[in-house]
Amino acid sequence: MRTCDDRMASASATLALVIGLALAICLPDAADAQAALKPVIQETLQIGDEPGRISTEEVVITDGPYARQVVFFRSNEAPGTLIIHTSERFAYLIQGNNRALRYGIGVGREGFQWSGLVRVSRKAEWPDWRPPPEMIARQPYLPRFMAGGPGNPMGARALYLGSTIFRIHGTNQPETIGHAISSGCFRLANGDVIDLYERVPVGTKVVVRQGASL
Amino acid sequence: MLKAAKLCALACASLTLACAFAAPGAAGTLESVKQRGVLQCGVSEGLFGFSERDAKGGWSGFDVDFCRSVAGAIFDDGSKVAFVPLSASERFEALRAGRVDLLSRTSTWTLEREAGLGLAFAGITYHDGQGFMVMRDLNVSSALELDRATVCVESGTTSQLNLADFFRANSMTYEERKFPSAAESLAAFQAGQCKVLTRDQSALYAERLKLPQPAAAAILPDVISKEPLGPVTRADDFAWFTLVKWVNFALVNAEELGISSRNVAEATASHKPDVRRFAGQERGLGRMLGLEDAWALRAVRAAGNYAEIYERNLGVESRLGIPRGLNQLWNMGGVLYAPPIR
Repeated sequence: MRTCDDRMASASATLALVIGLALAICLPDAADAQAALKPVIQETLQIGDEPGRISTEEVVITDGPYARQVVFFRSNEAPGTLIIHTSERFAYLIQGNNRALRYGIGVGREGFQWSGLVRVSRKAEWPDWRPPPEMIARQPYLPRFMAGGPGNPMGARALYLGSTIFRIHGTNQPETIGHAISSGCFRLANGDVIDLYERVPVGTKVVVRQGASL
Repeated sequence: MLKAAKLCALACASLTLACAFAAPGAAGTLESVKQRGVLQCGVSEGLFGFSERDAKGGWSGFDVDFCRSVAGAIFDDGSKVAFVPLSASERFEALRAGRVDLLSRTSTWTLEREAGLGLAFAGITYHDGQGFMVMRDLNVSSALELDRATVCVESGTTSQLNLADFFRANSMTYEERKFPSAAESLAAFQAGQCKVLTRDQSALYAERLKLPQPAAAAILPDVISKEPLGPVTRADDFAWFTLVKWVNFALVNAEELGISSRNVAEATASHKPDVRRFAGQERGLGRMLGLEDAWALRAVRAAGNYAEIYERNLGVESRLGIPRGLNQLWNMGGVLYAPPIR
C-alpha cells in the first residue's frame, strides 16, 4: 500500500471501514478485477511493495514528461498552492504568472482515486511504515513495522494531508512514477519529494482533482 | 446535390479545368464523401508527431487522427480515410480544387487565409507558438531571465521578427546568431555558439530529440507568439464546415466529460444528461449535422478523445513529451473550451 498509513489504527471506525473496503479492491490480489477498469491514459502497473529495496535520496526523474519542470499553467489558485491532477499523473506547484512547477507522480489505483481540498498538516523526513491490519491480512509477508530509511516504501519524505490517512510521499520504486498503483497516496521519486518538501510549508493548500466520471 | 455535382462536372469539362480531381462543387461535401465511402484528408508529407507514414504505409499523428475522427463521425469507421500528403505550397490550392475534403495539416489560422483564400478554419486543434530552448545548466525557468543572452534563430522567418519584438517589449537585449536553415541553427546551439534557440514550441520539442543528450536541454514554458493550428475547409460549404468544427468540439467535450475510446459502451449506458446527449441517447442532434445521433461517440471511438489523441502523438506517450500547456482543458490550466453539445 502504499500507504498511507501509520495512523490507520487511530482513524475513526467509519473511515477505517471505508478505507478497508477501498483497500479490498486496490490490493494486488484484486488485480484481475481491476484489469477491466483501466485509467484513461496509463495502464495500472501490477507491482507489489518491495520493502527493503534501496532507492537513494538522489533519485529524481531526469527525462521525459515526468521530470520536474516549469510549465504553462493557468490557475485562479494563489502561488504556493499545490494542485494534483490524478488522471494526468502530475502535481503542480503554482508559481504565479501562468506558471507552475510540475512533478510526475504515481497515484491511487482505479477505484481508489479521490478528490477534494485539504491542507498539509504535518511533514516528516524518512517516515516509518506501519502497514494496516487489512494489508497484513492480505499480504502476510509484509513487516508489521518498518523504520524510516532508504529501503522503506514510504521513501525520503512525507507530507500528511489534513486528517486523512493519505499523504504525498517518496518511494523506493521510482519506476512506478506515472502509474496508478498506490492506495490513494501520491508518490514522487525521492529526490523530487525532497525538492517539494522544501518548497511546501505546513498549512499549504492542496487541491486534488480527478478526471470526470460517466 | 447530385445534380449540382453533375452540373459542375459539365461546367468543369467545358473549361477543362481542375476536373481531374472531380471537384464537388459549391456544396454537398458530406454527400460526396458518403457516396465515395471515404474521406479525402490532406496531411503533411511527414512531420514528427503530427503526420508520419511508417514503412508499411500506415499513417499516424495528431493531424492524421483528426481525419480519422471525422471519418468516425460519418462512417463509424476511422479507417475510411484516404490520406493525401501535401506540401506547404500546394495545400490550400488542393483544398480549393476539391482534391481533398478537409485539410488537417499544421496550418496556422490567419485572416489572410480565410478572407483572402476563401477558406474556413474549423477551430483550433493545437495552440502552438514560438518558444525558447536552453541548456539546463543555464538555470533559467522563464524567458524573462534571458537578458543579454545569445540567441540562435533561422533568418528570414517570423521567428526572427517575434524574437526582436519580445526582447524589445520586455526591455531586454540579446545577441542574434542567425542561420539560413533550422538545421544550422540547431547545430550552432549544440556547439555552444548560442545559449538560446528559438522556434515554434512543437518544433523545438522535435529538435531536442536530435541532441545527443535531450535531457540536458529544457524548453521554457513561455509562448511569445500565436500559431493556432486547425483543420481547414472550403468556405463555400457551410454545412460541412459546421460538421468538421463540431467534431473538434466533440473531442474536447469528450475529455471534459470523461468519455474516451475505452468507455464508449459505458457512456451509452450513462444516466448523466450531458453524457447521454453526447452518446446520442437523447433527441436528434446528429440529424442536424446530417449524421447519426451517435456521431460524437463514433468520432471518439475512431481515435480517442482530445487527451488520448494528444498524449499518444505529442504528449506523455510519445517521444516528444510536449506538456499540454495551452492545449489543456480550460478548467485544467489551459485554454481548450468547447461549446456544449445540446
